[in-house]
Amino acid sequence: MTRNPGFISLMPARGTLSVFEIALLVLCVVLVVAPIPQNLQDIIVLTFLWAGLATAWNIAGGYTGLISFGHAAFFGIGAYASTILLVRIGVTPWIGIWCGGLLAALFGAVLALICARLRGPFFILSTLAAAEVIRIAALNWPSLTGGPEGLAISPSADSTNMVFASKQAYLVLMLGYLVLSYGVTKLIDGSRFSYFLFATRDDEDAASAAGLNPLAIRTVALMLSAALSGIGGSLFAQYFLYLDPTSVISPEVSFQFALLPAVGGLGTAIGPVLGSFLITPMSELLRSYLGSKVAGLHLAIYSALLIVVVLYFPSGIAGALSRLSRRREGKP
Amino acid sequence: MTALVQVENLGRAFDALWAVDNVSFSVERGELLGLIGPNGAGKSTLYNLLAGALTPTRGEIVFDGRRVTGWKSYQMARVGMARTFQIPKPYRRLSVVENVMLTAFQRHKSVRSARTFAEHILADVGLSDHATAPVTTLTVGLLKRLEVARALALEPKLVLFDEIMAGLTPTEVAAMTSFVSELPARGITVIWVEHVLHAIMRTATRVMVLSRGQLIANAAPKVVARDPAVIKAYFGEEMSLA
Repeated sequence: MTRNPGFISLMPARGTLSVFEIALLVLCVVLVVAPIPQNLQDIIVLTFLWAGLATAWNIAGGYTGLISFGHAAFFGIGAYASTILLVRIGVTPWIGIWCGGLLAALFGAVLALICARLRGPFFILSTLAAAEVIRIAALNWPSLTGGPEGLAISPSADSTNMVFASKQAYLVLMLGYLVLSYGVTKLIDGSRFSYFLFATRDDEDAASAAGLNPLAIRTVALMLSAALSGIGGSLFAQYFLYLDPTSVISPEVSFQFALLPAVGGLGTAIGPVLGSFLITPMSELLRSYLGSKVAGLHLAIYSALLIVVVLYFPSGIAGALSRLSRRREGKP
Repeated sequence: MTALVQVENLGRAFDALWAVDNVSFSVERGELLGLIGPNGAGKSTLYNLLAGALTPTRGEIVFDGRRVTGWKSYQMARVGMARTFQIPKPYRRLSVVENVMLTAFQRHKSVRSARTFAEHILADVGLSDHATAPVTTLTVGLLKRLEVARALALEPKLVLFDEIMAGLTPTEVAAMTSFVSELPARGITVIWVEHVLHAIMRTATRVMVLSRGQLIANAAPKVVARDPAVIKAYFGEEMSLA
């Protein structure tokens, strides 16, 4: 383990802020303010959003070992909560997104108490099922959710309704969300609580013998992860201005949550961000350049690239980078 | 002062089999109690019952003046009962010192003080050179020492050692034996399961023998070694090697 004495280190290390992270933040700010064509701004908005979402997932999946294939449920609950509050009773999304996060956290607590006793593949399957329950509930409760037709938010620009004409406003919003998600992770990183998460992930029996209550720790981790995912869901709804159960609470969304941290590096703060910065633009660009020419080709290339990453970078991009920097510093 | 541990008619059944059957004993503060018995005698089950990893089917456990029957592992750890695992259970993705810090957090709330205390404990068991190494680089002998370090980092009143010498070299056995024998003087009561019998026979103040889930002897090491019931449990009624 490399622990740098100062607070600022070259590469990301637990409990410190790295030059690398600061450079990345500067790059993000440049992307927000630079005059970039709208279609590319679209991709950057999604990249920021997914970086924040993947970071949220990582608190449960990477730090705590709660590999969830059901985060679309939290995402969907957040998206629906703020949207329903807005279109049904006119509550501004500036309040609604926090309600979405809170509601998602509550569902996270319920899920933890029911499913977090399950191990490995059984937990994964239970999260998939939980997301399906939420999707089916949304489909079959039209008076609240609009059912299969979904809900639309009025597209006329109005900052009280968190609807903007310029993409730049959304870039700021999504970057703010990414900073929030990342900030929570950095607060955890290197703290006593982060060790509790790691211990529960690595060996539950040993953690119990050390005086930790694994169920309580899992519950807190899943609630945090769910809350941040819910807030991300609300922001997604404000960007697309349209929601329906099948596209928002889908297994594809859940897989994306898990995939980006896996590619970037599980259990590291920077990993999910790197994962999204690599994968989200790649999949969007492949879709827009190839999707219309040869049906399905973009998916084939996308999948092939994923296989390469999983085979050659098993600890993700973050793992590969930290190995590289250790080699340059002459450490094993 | 009352006994540190008081166990009454403790039993645990797995289906029809009583792995621990009607066991009663007490442990005084400052004792180094050996617990021996043939394979399958119920030693691990008894440990799991004491440490809260298993719930008793019947009986009572009193620890440090509290009735703790049915308490969970983490609750037992919090009131000062530490344990090691027969098969080491390190946190695989953490370093050696971080493994020990996790137990130290019970009494040392800040990361810095937990780390300092963990380093202190590592020096005690001779793991200082490996403090920042990933646990995956440790040999079996070192993993056993890590188990001991983690248990002691709880600053326990009672520690349950489960075969901390299996796989150690004779020199390591000698070092560990003298280390364990000094614990009672530091205010840590010890119960010790070990197959390296001479270590136990030399250091224990008292030895309990389990056989088929029942306590068949509970006396000074010299008395136990001559007990016909114990010899029978280990070697059988008649030795027929032909």
